[in-house]
Amino acid sequence: MRIAAAASKPLNHLVAFEHKRDAYGFPVRPQHVQRYREYSDIYKEEEEERSDRWSSFLEDHSELNESLANGSSGDSHAPSSESKQEKEEEANKGAGDNLRTEKLGSDVTLDNASEEEGSSDAEKNVHRVQLWTEIRPSLRSIEELMSIRVKRKGDLSKGEQEAPKVKSLLSFDDAKSSKGASENDSEDEFYDVERSDVQDGSSSDSTSVSGIPVSVDASSAVSTCPWKEELEVLIRGGVPMALRGELWQAFVGVRKRRSKDYYQNLLAADSFGNSIEQGDVQHVDDKGSNTDSLAAVEKWKGQIEKDLPRTFPGHPALDDDGRNALRRLLTAYARHNPSVGYCQAMNFFAALLLLLMPEENAFWALTGIIDDYFNGYYSEEMIESQVDQLVLEELVRERFPKLVHHLDYLGVQVAWVTGPWFLSIFMNMLPWESVLRVWDVLLFEGTRVMLFRTALALMELYGPALVTTKDAGDAVTLLQSLAGSTFDSSQLVLTACMGYQNVHEIRLQELRSKHRPAVIAALEERSRGLQAFRDSKGIASKLYSFKQDPKSVLVDSSKASLTNGSLSRSESGSSNADEVLVSLTGDGEVDSVQDLQAQVLWLKAELCKLLEDKRSALLRAEELEIALMEMVKQDNRRQLSAKVEQLEQEMAEVQRLLSDKQEQEGAMLQVLMRVEQEQKVTEDARRFAEQDAAAQRYAAQVLQEKYEEAVAALAEMEKRAVMAESMLEATLQYQSGQLKAQPSPRSGNQDSPAKSINDQSPDPPQSRISLLARPFGLGWRDKNKSTTPEKLPENVSEEKKPAAEGKETDAEQKDAKVQDTS
Amino acid sequence: MATAGNKSINAKLVLLGDVGAGKSSLVLRFVKDQFVEFQESTIGAAFFSQTLAVNDATVKFEIWDTAGQERYHSLAPMYYRGAAAAVIVFDVTNQASFERAKKWVQELQAQGNPNMVMALAGNKSDLLDARKVTAEEAQTYAQENGLFFMETSAKTAANVKETFYEIAKRLPRVQPTENQSGMVLPDRAMDRAVSASCCA
Repeated sequence: MRIAAAASKPLNHLVAFEHKRDAYGFPVRPQHVQRYREYSDIYKEEEEERSDRWSSFLEDHSELNESLANGSSGDSHAPSSESKQEKEEEANKGAGDNLRTEKLGSDVTLDNASEEEGSSDAEKNVHRVQLWTEIRPSLRSIEELMSIRVKRKGDLSKGEQEAPKVKSLLSFDDAKSSKGASENDSEDEFYDVERSDVQDGSSSDSTSVSGIPVSVDASSAVSTCPWKEELEVLIRGGVPMALRGELWQAFVGVRKRRSKDYYQNLLAADSFGNSIEQGDVQHVDDKGSNTDSLAAVEKWKGQIEKDLPRTFPGHPALDDDGRNALRRLLTAYARHNPSVGYCQAMNFFAALLLLLMPEENAFWALTGIIDDYFNGYYSEEMIESQVDQLVLEELVRERFPKLVHHLDYLGVQVAWVTGPWFLSIFMNMLPWESVLRVWDVLLFEGTRVMLFRTALALMELYGPALVTTKDAGDAVTLLQSLAGSTFDSSQLVLTACMGYQNVHEIRLQELRSKHRPAVIAALEERSRGLQAFRDSKGIASKLYSFKQDPKSVLVDSSKASLTNGSLSRSESGSSNADEVLVSLTGDGEVDSVQDLQAQVLWLKAELCKLLEDKRSALLRAEELEIALMEMVKQDNRRQLSAKVEQLEQEMAEVQRLLSDKQEQEGAMLQVLMRVEQEQKVTEDARRFAEQDAAAQRYAAQVLQEKYEEAVAALAEMEKRAVMAESMLEATLQYQSGQLKAQPSPRSGNQDSPAKSINDQSPDPPQSRISLLARPFGLGWRDKNKSTTPEKLPENVSEEKKPAAEGKETDAEQKDAKVQDTS
Repeated sequence: MATAGNKSINAKLVLLGDVGAGKSSLVLRFVKDQFVEFQESTIGAAFFSQTLAVNDATVKFEIWDTAGQERYHSLAPMYYRGAAAAVIVFDVTNQASFERAKKWVQELQAQGNPNMVMALAGNKSDLLDARKVTAEEAQTYAQENGLFFMETSAKTAANVKETFYEIAKRLPRVQPTENQSGMVLPDRAMDRAVSASCCA
């Protein structure tokens, strides 16, 4: 509580350090300052939103609350509703007002703190007033709900003998309590509940606590509560800073756990030295003897002292008063549960709780967390912590086989990193907002399930990045720094809660019981191994001293065995008798037997080591095999790629050929086309030629006909000529006959023509014959000629024409001659 | 495990020692060259890495800084198993921490890697007036047990780097083949993967 007060004091200090510290006063790592700034606005919005949601939720259930308040304490109704209003007002103020809220909540404390500077006697009383505060009544119903869990666990762990003791204490307290009216009320209320709990515990049957019907199974009671799911959703969405401290108390069931003056008496044991008071210190008696616990506490004292300044160093709220409170809290816990005592990590938990709630409340919350939630975690051997790591490893292996394979390959164990995560409950491992959100869910659920879910969610978020790392150092560094930058707390919590719902308490319990024997065995093995090592050293030194002075050892052992033997006669113990026999027969053998035993132990340890070596060798072999497979795969791939390349080359060649061929084909086609064109042209030409030929033939025919006509005409003319010749001959013959017989009267007349004819007469027959003969002969020859085949009709026709013409002219000449002559 | 390959060595190093002996402070000084008066208590273990160049190689230290409290002892084997080097730290102003250091040495001799390079660091040597363990005492013990001893001060940085440098020099250069192949194989596989993807 005083820390809370202190937190409100150095407000200016906080502002000055704002760039280095977050809203909770915790340092922000320099590399994350930028990201924190980005997210601080988001946080603020989220905080406002959730404050609204919470206040409306609490309003909705206010009737229920009031009925509960009525049920638990009859006449405290009026003040409780009043204070509720006040508190809800505070809740509505949201995140920005955290510090202010704390201040409001700790008003009483501030006053008391000043009072405290009075006498030491008064201080004790003040302590009692200031250290304990009830949570606001509006949260009472949640507290009731969660406390069912506490009571049941309490019953299981403490057993029934506890009940009457508490009862007697109660009566003692009731008699003693003489405070202000309101406080009286609240305490009565508290003890009413406590009493009913006790009844409940002793009867261990289904009864009703404060009006809520409760079945034996607390968890079923919790699950049957109508607004439990709504509450769960709200809690996963985050708890408003203003309500966080009180809600946490409600979750842990602080009020239920508290037994009055227990804390003060634990501390009083310190101030009054060794004088042990009666009363509540009996609780310590249950755990161990007073002297033991005190000795242990002395042992813890040094360690606590060392860790006080090393707990959130520089946090503005942890000033001298804060550290004193922390010291008291840790000391009280160490006395409360000497089997745990003080374990590093608790200092951080206690300090966080002190930041959120009054000192005694923090003590009971710490008790709840360490004794119930983390039972066996921080004890001397830390067995549960190791078991949880094995369980987590199995879960990670199951969920992220690829990641685990890679980590195995690098030689990284998941537990190296997750071990510290679990032990610190993510404090200093995640940004503070995320830590608190994880704590919200963890404390609400009352189990360590959230640890696993969060770790798995982180693996889910960062696994893909981890797979790219190339050595163990890089992998661990990356995981650490990524986890440290998980500012998106809502994403983290929702991934954890929604994505890993099948990671639940029952499953975890099964896995834990599966792995626990291995841890215990390893622990024993190790301690035995160490023992064996020491023994083996012992053997060596014994052998050495035996060599140096054999008698001394022999004498020692014989002395021992003799004394044992003398004792054994009265006791008649078989082992002692054996020793006596041994000592009688040979003194040295006892020692050698012990040596042998030691050697056996040592050999066992060696064997374990060998087995471990073998296991690691096997792992190594597997790794190598995988690597080999990969290499082979790579190799195959290379071969394949080579083949593909070859094929591609071939393909390219073929394609080239194909294109060549296509080109050729194109060329051929062109040629063909040209040829075709030519063909067409020639065809055309041929057709024209044919046409020409036909025309010429026709012309030839026509000419032939003409020729034939001409020939016919010629033949006729010849006939006529022949006729005319014959006629001429006949005339000539007649003329000659007339001339021979009588010269005709017309001889004169006829002389001139006759003379002209006579002039020609010496040769006229010949000339006439020749004249006649020539055209005849010619015609004859022509006739013969025309019978010869016509090769070139044109030529023929051309040749013929002049011939024909010639003939015609000849014929005309002849005609003319004939006419002349006739 | 320390691994040699192309003159770069990866070495797992573990720091052991009593509560408040100054393990984390030594690492902080070595890795970041910083010092804070009140170092937060280490829960479980913390990891750091730092590279150091020695004459013939670069050594990349993978440093596991373990929690000092006695009960965290049960987690220590997880961190010192397979470590190539260990720094056992004690506080020269605290006799009990020296006794605890001796226990660690004993445990490492029994359980640890037999080739482990072990250094004994007597920290807080700057607190001259409060000294409880003399340098001679520690030196004698170190010689008897095959460690090398350095008096360090994370506060003044005295001998901090020197201690790690000495370890780097003492790390075996030739590693067991088993481990060498362990690092070389994946590298090759990577190269091939790259080249294969180039070809394809």
